[in-house]
Amino acid sequence: MSNEQSRSHSILKAAAIALAAACSFQFVISAAQAEELSLKGKRIGVSIVGTDHYWDLMAFRGIQDEIKALGGEAIALDAGRKDQQQIAQLQTLIAQKPDAIVEVLGNLEVLNPWLAKIREAEIPLFTVDTATPHAINNTTSNNYNIGAEIALQMVADMGGKGNVLVFNGFYSVPVCKIRYDQMKYVLTSFPDVKIVEPELRDVIPNTVQAAYSNVTDMLTKSPEKGSLNAVWACWDVPQIGATQAAEAAGRPELKTYGIDGSPEVIKMVMDENSPAAAVAAQQPYEIGKTSVQNVAKFLAGQKVPPFTFVPAVLINKENAAVTGKPFLEAAEKAGVK
Amino acid sequence: MTATTMKSTVKAAGAGAAPGEKQPRVQNTGKRIGTVAVRLGAIATFTLILVYFALFAPGFLSSFNFINVVEQSAILGVLAFGMAAVIIGGGSNVTEGGIDLSIAANMGLCAAVFATMLQAGYPDTVAVLAGIACGVAVGALNAVAVVGLGILPLLATLAVMNIAAGAELTLTQNTVVGATSPLLAFLVSGSFLGISTLAWCLILFSLVILVFIHKTAFGLRLYAVGGHPEAARAAGISVPLHVSFTYLFSGLCAAIAGILAVSRLSASTPGSGEMLLSVLAAALLGTVFSRRLVPTIGGTLLSVLFIGFLANGFQLLNVSSYWVNGVQGALILLVVAVTSFARGPEASR
Repeated sequence: MSNEQSRSHSILKAAAIALAAACSFQFVISAAQAEELSLKGKRIGVSIVGTDHYWDLMAFRGIQDEIKALGGEAIALDAGRKDQQQIAQLQTLIAQKPDAIVEVLGNLEVLNPWLAKIREAEIPLFTVDTATPHAINNTTSNNYNIGAEIALQMVADMGGKGNVLVFNGFYSVPVCKIRYDQMKYVLTSFPDVKIVEPELRDVIPNTVQAAYSNVTDMLTKSPEKGSLNAVWACWDVPQIGATQAAEAAGRPELKTYGIDGSPEVIKMVMDENSPAAAVAAQQPYEIGKTSVQNVAKFLAGQKVPPFTFVPAVLINKENAAVTGKPFLEAAEKAGVK
Repeated sequence: MTATTMKSTVKAAGAGAAPGEKQPRVQNTGKRIGTVAVRLGAIATFTLILVYFALFAPGFLSSFNFINVVEQSAILGVLAFGMAAVIIGGGSNVTEGGIDLSIAANMGLCAAVFATMLQAGYPDTVAVLAGIACGVAVGALNAVAVVGLGILPLLATLAVMNIAAGAELTLTQNTVVGATSPLLAFLVSGSFLGISTLAWCLILFSLVILVFIHKTAFGLRLYAVGGHPEAARAAGISVPLHVSFTYLFSGLCAAIAGILAVSRLSASTPGSGEMLLSVLAAALLGTVFSRRLVPTIGGTLLSVLFIGFLANGFQLLNVSSYWVNGVQGALILLVVAVTSFARGPEASR
């Protein structure tokens, strides 16, 4: 049994590394290279729920820059994490009758009735990271892959057994749901990996501080070294707090896992001594750009698939020095450190 | 109440100086001119901004856009009426007068209670009653703290704001609580004469409150209590009762706003506390529409719509939405500064 387990772990580990390496070769693929796209004379509405995180800001910028680059005009609306404001902005946007609307993130339950109204008004709707039947196209990372990969990496690092702290505060956000469900699916094959109940809740704002105190409390509750082995979150801002908490408590054996690839977290994964074990790094700027390219294709009468995946890269301790570098360079170029 | 105090308050509230006391009269006239200038200046600014939008913001003048803005202002409007009532009854002194900082957080809590009840399978009537009970209970807590314990409203309601926000977090675990019901469907998609239900809610609620505050004896007494509590007491009005009422009313407004918010968002969502700035802005800006610089229902409604038009006009002009908050804050500062100036030293006491 134990032999079999260790063999499956090493296979898992090898698979995780191979996947990461394969992904790193795909870095920065621009779909615009081959085609001549234009948004000349077009007004494109852009609605985002908030831009207080690296991912959101980069996607928002990518969208606006690409609209400008293609000669269009962007009506860019940031709701400052206020759902009511986002709804009011979308309502006014519908009245403005732009040539298309790109909607980025937000609570699907809140948004769906309004996204339906956009379609009723016959305005082409495109979404970023928001899977909804009302959108012509959703541009995103392959969250099914990301969710499975990061979970497999975690299970591999844990040696197939142990206790995981899970942050599950945003199940109503579609991408978080996919990643969480994928993580749970992976765990069905590893019954010795247990999620500590009740699950933790990540919050906005004060995400880092709240995660820090949550994880510190859990470490205090389980003082025995090695009793907690991993922290999982569907994005990487809670991972920052969790990593800092593990460090401060002198419990580096508690490894942390997250998704997005904020520069701060990539640097943590690159640091050999940090408990941050892996992060699935997305390309939010590219995702934003790609979405706008889809808008341009659609308005030019071309066919657009229901979803477009922009490659993500699993950055772990083994490959961080190589895979992390281009992400940090891209962030620095955008003026975010 | 003794005869002496009564006499002195009557004197204080009297028509001004005795013959020969020229200076106070000059001061009074100066103040009056200042007040008029401030009011007209503020109203002129409002008008100029709206005229600018009308001329340059595409689609601003369409009836569709107007109805949209009224609909978007419904939740803020109901909250602002609650805040206005508290300021009317507690006095408009910014530091010591009536203020309810908990109103936005209370709305969040009521919305959470309402949505949770619906999700648990209770019918609309039960959920609505639970929401209203919750709002009024928070209002009662404010009343006890302010009237019963004599805590400064600014601090008392700040504390209650945190209690309400904490209770909401405990109830919802900071998550989105989705809700559907016949009432919500009616609120969100019903319309009459081309005007949506939510817009009707604001129109009808404004009318009811307008009559209640400005056309009833109770409303008049409320102004007396806020304007000059000693004089009101001398006239036999129960000050604590009226002040307590304003906090309960504010709680009721929070509950109604909470239900409207759930209908608009199809869910209760975290972060309602963010609305406080806009509510305060609406209630304080509303004072410039009254001759005595006190909140009125009409004035509050106009400033609520103005705030709505501000965000709307900026979007139509394609000016960054980041400006809206800044402009709101600047307007509050301006109005508080000029009204303090116009009222003279007693306002900044």
